[in-house]
Amino acid sequence: MSALTGVEVGQRLPGFSRTFTRADLVRYAGASGDFNPIHWSNSAAAALGLPDVIAHGMLTMGTALRVVTDWAGDPARVRSYSVRFTKPVVVPEDGGTVVTFAGTVTKLADGFASVSVEALCDGVLVLGAVTAEVELG
Amino acid sequence: MPISEDHVGRSYPATAPYQVSRAKIAEFAEALGDGDNPAYAGDDPIAPPTFAVVLSSAAWDAMFADPELELSLSRTVHVDQRFAWQRPLRSGDEVSATLTIEKVRARGATAIITIAVHLSTTTGEALCTATSTLMHTMGEAA
Repeated sequence: MSALTGVEVGQRLPGFSRTFTRADLVRYAGASGDFNPIHWSNSAAAALGLPDVIAHGMLTMGTALRVVTDWAGDPARVRSYSVRFTKPVVVPEDGGTVVTFAGTVTKLADGFASVSVEALCDGVLVLGAVTAEVELG
Repeated sequence: MPISEDHVGRSYPATAPYQVSRAKIAEFAEALGDGDNPAYAGDDPIAPPTFAVVLSSAAWDAMFADPELELSLSRTVHVDQRFAWQRPLRSGDEVSATLTIEKVRARGATAIITIAVHLSTTTGEALCTATSTLMHTMGEAA
């Protein structure tokens, strides 16, 4: 792969919005093997005191990384990725929920860029301390 | 006795070998809304980075099945997650995962548990470490 050049600290990476529907959660449950009922059953979510079914944190985490892989070109450049799950993404049965993702280059060192990704749902950050390390060379 | 600092260092046997397939990679990429990424298609695709969760969550099962720890997935909240890759997973890789309990902070009914899952090929090549912090709350005494 050719090197990523012209990268600067503070550079904004193109973002996108995604609507998560119940069907998306069922699809991710099957793909990932995470069948925790709080991601598809209203009563299981209510039993935990949640307002409604919530998205898999890993689905939000995996979707957020698309900001980085779309920019980096080759997903193999991503060498580490970490997030905190700060707020659940509540997904009502009708219409789903929109999450908006965008990224910023926060650090350049030793041939790697650190990228932070914002994930906003209803104006609130649903992931915290998001950092992906991307190999530039 | 339920999970405590005494369980730090406990490891579980490696999961049964799992063969990464093109079809599963395509299915996972589609679930992320990333089915159009050419890296995840073709004859020799790599897996989306967070595909590692397919293997790491399988490794969690052994810990949740350990009767001594008295854990329940339904009383567990995933607090944070980190992946560090040696290389991407690829179609054809035969992968197994080993879970180790790295840290436990128990206070009352709540335990904060850090686990590390090491993914490697069945020939011993290290692929990825998936580190998770979980918050677990003990159920009501029966």
